[in-house]
Amino acid sequence: MNRNLFSSSLKKGLAFGIVMILLVLIDFEAMSATMLSKLLGVNVIRGALPQVRFMVIFLVLYGMFVGWLTSSNEEKPAKKLVQALIAGLSVGIVVGLFDLVLIQLINTGTDVRTYLAALGPDSIKLFILEKGALSPLLHLGLFTSASLLGSALKILLKSKPVSGFFKSISTGYRSLQVKAQKHTPDWVKKYGKYLLFLLIGLSAFFLPRIWGSYNNYVVGLVGLYVILGIGLNIIVGLSGQLMLGFAAFFAMGAYSVALLNAPFPHGIMLGFWPSLLIGVLMAVLAAVLLGLPVMGMRGDYLAIVTLGFGEIIRILLKSDLLTAFTGGPRGIQDIKGPTLFGQPFSSDVDYTYIILVFMILAIFLYKRLERSRTGRAWLAIKEDTKVAQATGINIQNNKLLALCLGAAFAGLAGGIFAARNQFTGPNDHQLMVSMNILSILIVGGMNSIPGIILGAFTLKGLPEILREIENYRLLVFGGLLVLMMLSRPEGLWPSTRPDIEKDEGNKLKGDTAPGKGGPID
Amino acid sequence: MENEIRPLRRYKRSNLSKIVRWIFGIIVLSYIIWRLYTVFIVQNEYSPDIWVRLLISGLVIGGVYSLIAIGYTLVYGILRMINFAHGEVMMIGTFAGYFVFEATNAIKVTSSSGEVTSLSNAQPVLAVILAFIVGMAVASTAGFLLEKIAYRRLRKAPRLIPLISAIGASIFLQNLAQLLFSPLVRDYKNPGLIARGQGWAITVAGAPLTIPYTGVLTFSLSIILMFALYTMVRKSKLGKAMRAVAADKPTAALMGIDVNAVISQTFIISGMLAGAAGVMWGLHNGLVYYYVGFLPGIKAFTSAVLGGIGNIPGAMLGGMLLGLIESLGPTALGISYQLKDVLAFVILIIILVFRPSGILGEVLSEEKV
Repeated sequence: MNRNLFSSSLKKGLAFGIVMILLVLIDFEAMSATMLSKLLGVNVIRGALPQVRFMVIFLVLYGMFVGWLTSSNEEKPAKKLVQALIAGLSVGIVVGLFDLVLIQLINTGTDVRTYLAALGPDSIKLFILEKGALSPLLHLGLFTSASLLGSALKILLKSKPVSGFFKSISTGYRSLQVKAQKHTPDWVKKYGKYLLFLLIGLSAFFLPRIWGSYNNYVVGLVGLYVILGIGLNIIVGLSGQLMLGFAAFFAMGAYSVALLNAPFPHGIMLGFWPSLLIGVLMAVLAAVLLGLPVMGMRGDYLAIVTLGFGEIIRILLKSDLLTAFTGGPRGIQDIKGPTLFGQPFSSDVDYTYIILVFMILAIFLYKRLERSRTGRAWLAIKEDTKVAQATGINIQNNKLLALCLGAAFAGLAGGIFAARNQFTGPNDHQLMVSMNILSILIVGGMNSIPGIILGAFTLKGLPEILREIENYRLLVFGGLLVLMMLSRPEGLWPSTRPDIEKDEGNKLKGDTAPGKGGPID
Repeated sequence: MENEIRPLRRYKRSNLSKIVRWIFGIIVLSYIIWRLYTVFIVQNEYSPDIWVRLLISGLVIGGVYSLIAIGYTLVYGILRMINFAHGEVMMIGTFAGYFVFEATNAIKVTSSSGEVTSLSNAQPVLAVILAFIVGMAVASTAGFLLEKIAYRRLRKAPRLIPLISAIGASIFLQNLAQLLFSPLVRDYKNPGLIARGQGWAITVAGAPLTIPYTGVLTFSLSIILMFALYTMVRKSKLGKAMRAVAADKPTAALMGIDVNAVISQTFIISGMLAGAAGVMWGLHNGLVYYYVGFLPGIKAFTSAVLGGIGNIPGAMLGGMLLGLIESLGPTALGISYQLKDVLAFVILIIILVFRPSGILGEVLSEEKV
C-alpha cells in the first residue's frame, strides 16, 4: 500500500517535472505573462520576458497545482501531505537536473536557439531566477514547499467546516432563487422571454455602431463560424456522419461569390446577392456529387473520404491547372461588396448586420429542422441505422439531405466571408478550417445552439482578442480537444434533448455522449 | 405477398446511387485511358530512363509509406480507430534522427591518418545505425505515451470520440514541435558516404542514370523491417497475442492475454516502424519541419485502406502501389506534378467507393463489422 502510494506520487511528480521543462522550452511563461498583462492590465513584462517576480509566482502556482492534484485519493491528511511532499521533491529534482544543464549552457556560452527556439540566454537566466548555481536547490525548495502548500490548501478546503460553509452558501443561494421565482410578477414570466429577445435585438442593432471596427470584425467572425457550426452540426450532430472536409463547401461559396463578383479573373460583376445564392447552390451541388457515391460508406471511411475531398478541392484551387479560372495560389482580390436598394452596404457595421441576420436565420431554420419529421429521422438514423430503416426511414435520402443542407449553410458563410474580406485564396480553405468547425461542435456541445455559440466564441473569438498568443492557440486547442474527449465528451453546454427522450432506465453514464451508438457504423 | 414487394422497392430506391457510382467509374476509367493513350501513343516523348528514374523514386517513397501504413493497419485492426496522430509520430522520429546527425556532425574526431573529421563522416555506419535506433526509440515512446494518455480511457467510448482525440493529439504534437524547434525548415546532415543525390551511375537505353545510395538504403531497410514485422506477427508469441486481441478482445482476455499490454506493445511496434520511416524520409528527402508528418501520414492511411485495412501484407502492397502511382502517375497521365496529392486522394475515394475492403481484403475483428 505504502509502496504504491510512493511510486504513484513519484511517477506523477516526474511527469509534472517533465511537463514543466516542456513549458519552459516552449516559452510558456512569457506567453502567460503577456496574456496576464493584457487581461488584467498589470505590467509583469520586462522587455520581451516577464519579471523574475512573476516567474516565482508562476512556479509556486505550478507547484501548488501539483500538490493539489497528487493528494487526491487519500482520506488521511498526513498521507496527502506525504504524497504532495514526494511529488514536489521529484518535480524539484527533475527541474534541478534540468537547471544543471542550463547552468552549463550559460557558463560555456552555448547558444542552442538554432535547435530549441525558446531557450535564449535571457530566458534561461530568468528560469533559474538569476541565481546561478544556487538555482537547483532553490527550485527544489520552491516546488516542495509549494506542493505541500497546495496539498494543505486542499485539505483545508475539503475539510468539513470549510466545505460545509460553501455548501450552506450554495443552498442559501438556491433558496433565494426559488423565492425570487415565486415573487416575480406574472407579466415578467409571460413576456420576459420576448423582452430578452428585444434587448438582444436592440443591442445587436446599436452595439456594432458603437464599439469600433475591430470588435465588429471579431463578432462577424464568430457569427460566421456559428453559421458554419450549425451547418456541420446538421451533418455530424443530427445525422451522425463524420465530415472532415467541410471547408470544401465553404470554399465553394467563397469562390462563387469571388469569381462572379470580382474584376480580375473574369470580371462578371454579377452583384453580391445573386452570386451568394449561386454560391449556396454550388455548395449543394458539390454535396450531391460527393454524397451520392459515398453515402453507403462506413463512418470512419466517410471521414477520411471527406477529408480527401476537402484537400482535393484546395489543391485544385491552388494548382496551375485552374490558375486561369480561379486565380491560383494568389487568390482573388477586390471582391465587390453587397448593395441594398441601390446603396452600397458594405461597411464593417453593415457586414455585422448581414452576418447577424443570417445567423439568426440559421438558428431559426435549425430549430425548425431539428423538431421536424426529418430532424427526428436524422436522429433515429444516428442512434440506430437498422432500427431507423425498419421503421421506414429512407436512410440514403435523409443522409444526403442532411449533407446538402449542411453544405448550404457552409456555402452561405463562405460567400459572406469572401465578400467581407474582399479576398479569398486557397489558404482560407485549409484542413484546419474544417477541423476548427468540428472542434467548435465538440467543445461547445453537439446539437446545442448555445453550445455552438459558446464554442465559436471560445475557439474563434478569444484567440482573435488575444492575438499575442497566436502561436500557442493551436497547441492549447489540440490539447484541449484531447482533454475534452477524456473528461467531458458531451461538450461545454451539452444538448438537453437526449435526456428528455430516453427513458429513465437507460440513463447510464456516458449515454448522452455525442454520436452514441454509432455515427460510425 | 407483401414480403416479396418490400425488397423490390428497396432495390429500386438505391438504384440512383448505383447509377451515379457507375457513371463516376466510367468517367474515371475513360479519362485514364484517354490520358494514357495521349501520353504513350500520341506524344510518346519520354524515354525509358525517365520511367526508370520515376520507378526508383516510387519504390523508395512506397517503402516509407508501407512502413507507416503498417502502423495504421495494426492499430486499426486491434482498436478499430484511425490513429490520426500516427503521422506526427513519424515526424517525431524524423526530428530524433535529425538531432542524432547534428550531434554526430558536431563531435570532432581525429582519424588514424591524422585529419580531423566529424564523427558522422569518420564512422558513417555507426551514425546511421545510431540515428535509426534513436529515431525508433523516441517514436515508439511517443506512440506508447500517445496511447496511454489520449486513447486508453476512450476504448469503450463511441468511435467518433477517440478519432477526435487523435485529431487533437495530432494538432497538439505538430504545434508542440513548431514551438520547440521553431517553424524553420531544416536540412538533414547526411554522413558523407550516403550524401543525397549521389549514387551508382548506370545507363539505361543510352542515357545516364544514378541510383541514389539513400534510396537503396531506404528501400532495402524498409523491406527488411517489413519482413521482420511479418515474421514477428506470424511466428512469435506476441504476434499471436496481437492477432488474438485483434480477432476478439474479451475472448483473448479470457485466454490469459493481457489485452492492455498487447495494445501498448502494438503502439510501440507501430511507433518503431514510423520512427524508422521518419529517419528514412529525412535521409532521402533531406528536409525536416514540424509539418513533415502530415502528408505521409494521410497517404499511408490511404495505402492501408488501399491494401485492405487490418491486413499487414495489404498495407505493404498498398504503400508500394501508392508510391508508384504517385511518382509514375502524373507523368503517365500527363498532368501537372503539383497534382500528385490529388491523385492519391482520388485513388482513395475510388477504392472506397468501389472496393471498400481494399485490394487484399480487410482483416478485422468480428465485433462491429
